[in-house]
Amino acid sequence: MSFTDADLIARVLSREDHNAFGELVRRYQSPVRGFLARMTRGDAHLADDLAQETFLKAWQKLQTYRGGARFSTWLFGIAVNEFRMAGRRRKELAWEEVDESSMEPVEPAAARDNHLRLDLTEALKLLNSNERAAVVLCCQNGLSHEEAAQVLDCPLGTVKTNILRGKEKLRRRLAIAYENYESA
Amino acid sequence: MKIMNPPETNDPLDALLREQDKYIEDNGFTARVVAALPRRRRAWLRPALLLGAVAIGSVLAVLWLPWGDLPVLDLSALLSLDSQMLMPWVLVLSVMAALVWGTISALEWED
Repeated sequence: MSFTDADLIARVLSREDHNAFGELVRRYQSPVRGFLARMTRGDAHLADDLAQETFLKAWQKLQTYRGGARFSTWLFGIAVNEFRMAGRRRKELAWEEVDESSMEPVEPAAARDNHLRLDLTEALKLLNSNERAAVVLCCQNGLSHEEAAQVLDCPLGTVKTNILRGKEKLRRRLAIAYENYESA
Repeated sequence: MKIMNPPETNDPLDALLREQDKYIEDNGFTARVVAALPRRRRAWLRPALLLGAVAIGSVLAVLWLPWGDLPVLDLSALLSLDSQMLMPWVLVLSVMAALVWGTISALEWED
């Protein structure tokens, strides 16, 4: 028998049930750790530390989850806050503006070869944090623009702009002729 | 675990981004989180204390405020800014405002 998120949350709130919370962590550890790994530019150790803090905060604040948004959306909101707090402590994580000089297109041939995936990972690191967060949340994790705006605590238009800018930078960085990609 | 519906799009870049979103194996992460869980704070305790303080404050206000001696206020009294006329009302209104504020804060408390 599989419990819904709402069932598990109710058990945590009423009985302080560690097993129920553990099941929630198991369900959402991958998207939360993946998101934070992207945000920390691939620093898996730091991402896991932030993810652990995210779930511990979720444990403490669970009674404030109203159920209006998906649980995952609520979790991503906490993860973004954890990342922002880490950014205040660690300069290299700040919500920096990207250095445009690093956005020179790579050789098209390099983008077409089997390093395409690696290129995308590297290209994501070159986006500024706002763009990266919006792109990863919406294009990788499938959040709607409205949900991303809620998670990032910014206007809907800002999310859309960051996605457009971020994807444009990714395209430039990858220098993909999309027809080539589709035929590859 | 894919937790959400991917957006409907034909953009190859979106396809590439989704393709990169691989499942991350747990590898003991959940166990570490569960082992580190602190005792949950009792969310009701602080608002309950605040409500208790408001209740005590209300009783004291009923007992101690000079309800029977409040001067009658009319427009000329208000305009005269006579402190002997106004001060008792200022005191009563301040206490009432504090009690209302405390009640609202307790009822809207979010930990």
